[in-house]
Amino acid sequence: MTPSTGNWSDAPDGVILLAYSRGDVEAARVLSARLLPRALAQATRMLADQAEAEDVAQEAMMRLWKIAPDWRQDEAQVSTWLFRVIANLCTDRLRKRRGVSLDQIAEPVDLQPSVPAQMQETMRMQALSAALAALPDRQAQAVALRHLEGLSNPQIARIMDISIRSVESLTARGKRALAEILGKQKSALGYDDD
Amino acid sequence: MMMTKSDDSFLDDLFDAAQAQAPVVPDDLMARVLIDAQRAQAVQITAPKLSLFAGFLDMIGGWPSVGGLAMAGVAGLWFGVAPPQALSIWTAELIGTPVTVDLFGDTNAYFTEALIDG
Repeated sequence: MTPSTGNWSDAPDGVILLAYSRGDVEAARVLSARLLPRALAQATRMLADQAEAEDVAQEAMMRLWKIAPDWRQDEAQVSTWLFRVIANLCTDRLRKRRGVSLDQIAEPVDLQPSVPAQMQETMRMQALSAALAALPDRQAQAVALRHLEGLSNPQIARIMDISIRSVESLTARGKRALAEILGKQKSALGYDDD
Repeated sequence: MMMTKSDDSFLDDLFDAAQAQAPVVPDDLMARVLIDAQRAQAVQITAPKLSLFAGFLDMIGGWPSVGGLAMAGVAGLWFGVAPPQALSIWTAELIGTPVTVDLFGDTNAYFTEALIDG
């Protein structure tokens, strides 16, 4: 399904959201085409679980539809807001995973065991997600936004509503913690020890 | 544990692999999201706009506040019609009590006595 973008192709997200809140039926299609792939990708990177990522992306979009009538364009960008909502929803889910070992996490339904490289890739992403789950929420969010989404520190500061210095501190500590957790699994994940 | 640069280089590989993921949005997910959007939009558009009374009601805090206002009105009316004794004492202390002065009571008696004597 490829929603058409109509006359909204150059309009900012906030303008389209405003049109949606005023009853424009095409606006929802345009916004979904723009934002849903990004939302799904962010959730997939953090959760390494397709079903959970889809649930999170749908929930985040639902929150966007609900907030549309009260949206103030001058206060925030839709993309910033969406990054924040997805990060929060993902850390909620990661928190629930704490105490669950990697072996207990269900295998993804689209796994193709006949392809070893893909198996290894899936295992690595699950290990990364499990390691994120072991971090404090804010560290996990900062690390994910910095290293999985590739955002800059000022962007992360806006999304998390904290100072740039705090972002630097959170990402540094988070990355160190990830290195320590995942360092013990290097061989199992197919990385050479040397 | 002290990590050297080579120790955590695998982490950068992991991050790169994670960033390279670009999941395609399944058609059914897009459909669900659009259905959600239509439903939310329908609710927002058909929601009744606030009337003047509803606006006033909202301003004063809803029906519980209206109940409080009605109660205060009835109590005020009741105090006006039949004030409790405690209230009378309190108002007397605050603003004083009315005093009736009979200017001619004693004078009449005097005149009566004068007529008898005379």
